[in-house]
Amino acid sequence: MLSEWWSRIRFFVTGKKRADVDEELAFHMEREIAANIAAGMSAAEAKRRAMIAFGSRERAREECREERPSYFLESLGRDLRFGLRGLWRNPGFTVMAVLTLGLAIGMNATIFSLFDQALMQTLPVRSPNELVVLNFTGSRSGHLHSEGGDTPGHVHEFSYPMYKDLRDRNTALSGLIAEAPETLGVTWNNHAESVSAELVSGNYFETLGVPPASGRVFGSGDETAPGANPVAVLNFDYWKSHLAEAPVAGKTLLINGTPFTITGVAAPGFHSMVWGHTPAVYVPLTMEQVLTPEWTSLADHKDYWIAIAGRLKPGVTRSEAEASINPLFRALRAEEFKDLSDQSAKDRQDFVGSAYLHVDAGAKGFSPMRGDVQAPLTIILAMVMLVIGMAVVNVASLLLVRAAARAQEISVRYALGATSRQVLRQLLAEGMMLGLAGAALGLALAPEALRLLIHQLSINMEGELPFAAVLNWHVLGWSLVVTMVASLLFSLAPALQFRNPRLAEVMQQRTGTSGGGSLKFRRSCVALQIGFSLLLIVVAGMFVRTISNLRHVETGFATDHLLAFDLNPTLAGYPGNQVAPVEQRVLDATAALPGVRFVGATNDADLTGDDIQGDMVPAGYAGKPDEEFDVELPWVSNGYLQTLGVPLVVGRYFNASDTATSQRVAVVNESFAKHYFGGAQQALGRIVARPKKPGTDASIVGVVRDVKHSSVRDPALATCYTLFSQATRQTGLNFYVRTWQPPDTATASIRAAIANIDGKLIVGNLQTMQETIDANLVAERAIAMLASVFGMLATLLAGIGLYGILAYSTAQRTREIGIRMALGARRTTVVGLILCEVLMLAGGAVAVTIPLAMLATRTVRSELFGVSVADPAVYGAGILIICVVAALAGFIPARRAATVDPASALRTQ
Amino acid sequence: MPPSTDLLQGTLDMLILKTLAPGQEHGWAIAQRIQEMSNNILQIGQGSLYPALHRLEYRGWIRATWGASENNRRARFYALTAAGRKQLEAELENWDRLTGAVNLVLQGA
Repeated sequence: MLSEWWSRIRFFVTGKKRADVDEELAFHMEREIAANIAAGMSAAEAKRRAMIAFGSRERAREECREERPSYFLESLGRDLRFGLRGLWRNPGFTVMAVLTLGLAIGMNATIFSLFDQALMQTLPVRSPNELVVLNFTGSRSGHLHSEGGDTPGHVHEFSYPMYKDLRDRNTALSGLIAEAPETLGVTWNNHAESVSAELVSGNYFETLGVPPASGRVFGSGDETAPGANPVAVLNFDYWKSHLAEAPVAGKTLLINGTPFTITGVAAPGFHSMVWGHTPAVYVPLTMEQVLTPEWTSLADHKDYWIAIAGRLKPGVTRSEAEASINPLFRALRAEEFKDLSDQSAKDRQDFVGSAYLHVDAGAKGFSPMRGDVQAPLTIILAMVMLVIGMAVVNVASLLLVRAAARAQEISVRYALGATSRQVLRQLLAEGMMLGLAGAALGLALAPEALRLLIHQLSINMEGELPFAAVLNWHVLGWSLVVTMVASLLFSLAPALQFRNPRLAEVMQQRTGTSGGGSLKFRRSCVALQIGFSLLLIVVAGMFVRTISNLRHVETGFATDHLLAFDLNPTLAGYPGNQVAPVEQRVLDATAALPGVRFVGATNDADLTGDDIQGDMVPAGYAGKPDEEFDVELPWVSNGYLQTLGVPLVVGRYFNASDTATSQRVAVVNESFAKHYFGGAQQALGRIVARPKKPGTDASIVGVVRDVKHSSVRDPALATCYTLFSQATRQTGLNFYVRTWQPPDTATASIRAAIANIDGKLIVGNLQTMQETIDANLVAERAIAMLASVFGMLATLLAGIGLYGILAYSTAQRTREIGIRMALGARRTTVVGLILCEVLMLAGGAVAVTIPLAMLATRTVRSELFGVSVADPAVYGAGILIICVVAALAGFIPARRAATVDPASALRTQ
Repeated sequence: MPPSTDLLQGTLDMLILKTLAPGQEHGWAIAQRIQEMSNNILQIGQGSLYPALHRLEYRGWIRATWGASENNRRARFYALTAAGRKQLEAELENWDRLTGAVNLVLQGA
């Protein structure tokens, strides 16, 4: 077997000389003739017999050549050369086909790259398939800092003590790592900037198998006593973009006002064990207290704030690991339970008995974000598939037009002895060439398109999107598969037509009459194109309406003339007791600016998808058993409600008389008042407090309307506003500025005013409320934008296709039209005839598509807002667009038909 | 016309290998040998002999060298390679099985 291949390869390279073959055959003839003469034949007879016995020498030569190992390539080369000449001769056709394919394949590569990065790629770490992510079910008591997660009901955050115990006492994992995202203020070269960061366990890089690109990454020894080891590792991208890859190991970086020593840079490509996190710096978890003095979570069993992942020991399966680690988990929970205040048997069952630690596959990393992008990306990918289908149909119908013109050429080739296999191969080679040219164009465009798309999506977004504008081999492979399948499909259309060697006759018969297989096929092509376009237009329409609905949804407060920014004095190194005073100074300074009507602040940003929730109950309230009534608990400034313009129902807003030292006060919304007190009026003057938290009791001084908070999609929750100046803890705030002028005119003066207070204060995400809302609608915007682009493109292609087929069929019917006009038909009748054809075609396609579109849009229902899947306006607009395009496409052929001169029409053909 | 087309598919390759088993030969002699040994029943189309020879050579079952013929003309001689010998054995065995099976059916019928 091996020697056989070796032999073939040898001959493939060296081949056999033509002269050698000739000489060999000549020798054979000579011997045969000599033998015949020896048998007593005359020289002439001997030669004749020899030639008869041998058969065609030319054929033998040809067959010898066909045996060559390289013959396949030679014939392929010939097909390609021939095809290339043909394509070169028809530049218009070639350009059109390659452009169509290039656009479709480029879009496909772009979108697939996002899809691949979000949903298919494994983390760029050593043996990612050994990674597992841990989450648990069971009750909890205390703080949960959650980003969400893949499985509803599962908690993905753990306390640090729990993490340490699991890490040190389990037997199934070779390493257990932890991380928590944090925003930190980094000062470098006297420039302060807020960056996303990750607090990580000491064994983080080691267990993941991420080497340093420079210096060293953390080791287990870096996870020291709390606050004792101010060291940082930089992310490679941050190092490249901010520090120009200068040597940094050993240098000092100011993080939240504290000097940290940089130990090194992590390997390029690595971001986090959590897909979607793009931290700029990594610091040890144990430095948490230094960075966020207000949180002291390290020793707290009730603070659930770190995500953990592990690496399985070799040979241990996930289910084995789960089975071995759960007894430990339950024992640890039982230990924790002793310190809880609720000690009933039922509480015990909830906290210990039903607690279960899930060990899930973690090759792609844990991600609270993945679930959010899956549906939009899938929808967009499906739309791209439609566009590709459209391109295939388009190129197929172009090839078919060309095929009609090539009928003669092909029949000549049949006449010269080509087999139908050879003709088929030739056509496939041409199709593949078109496809590959399209793929080359598409893949050349894709990185730029990807960059643009990522840029477009990240407008107004906090931080970086976790997408890179590079194509990997997944994308290349996928593009190749798509190209091959597409090429095969569109080459097949004309190839099937040419299978019949009696083609010439067939083509001749066809010219007289209209219709025929080719026209029928082209009609189907155009009908398909119209269907695809309508589908895309409908999807685009629904998302455009969704966006418009979401942007204009009634939030309960005016979102215009409203500017937002965030500011956290902690990032500039302010100690806890000075945070609130400097925040008050920012409020005062901003309020004094010209053009500013109101200024307010809250720790719970509005319409960004974030929430701060907890319990808040009336004093002495005996909750119903199992009552879980989470309320929104923002800490606000005393101008906040006025700034947003939340309408007051009864009582009063916070005002200047409410200070850090005065009576603690609260304002609640109607839902809150209704739930606990039965009505707004009854709530006034009542005391509310956080259960088991002394010093949180506050007297309700006012009740306001419900307004949307988390996002424009979500309904308002019961809310209890208290003052940040009276809060138990200091924190960064989100500021809102209501302006007289368009809000963006105030940005420069706000920045200047804050810089005037302290140049180190970092103003983050300074943008208008409308921009904040838009940033939160990135998925919907992406779908609406791409669907619109795809829809327009598809409609254009369908229009061109429709025009092509009408021009063709009208030309074929010239004679018929001539006769009709000679018999007295009016021009309007003729135009009607053509338009009737258009309408039949478009109408048929539309009628078939609408039910399909309703089925298809049903699958995207969850992403829509305020639009029914049978929205008449969307369908009406879609049909109208199709009709306009159809009418435009029909106009020129109809006019031409109407100006047919009967006499000359009859004379033609 | 010689009934070369009547040869079973693939049989020609086996016949050539068998003919070369005793030693090297050139193309014309191979054709003659097959004809003689089959008592002139098998007349292989001489034109289709060469593509077959080349095919076997490309597969590495036979090796070709230029040499002098009986009448001192330059001729191309073919000889079995080790792989060719193995292939011949395999094909003969296969052939025996096939003909044996066919005979069994014919006798039984």
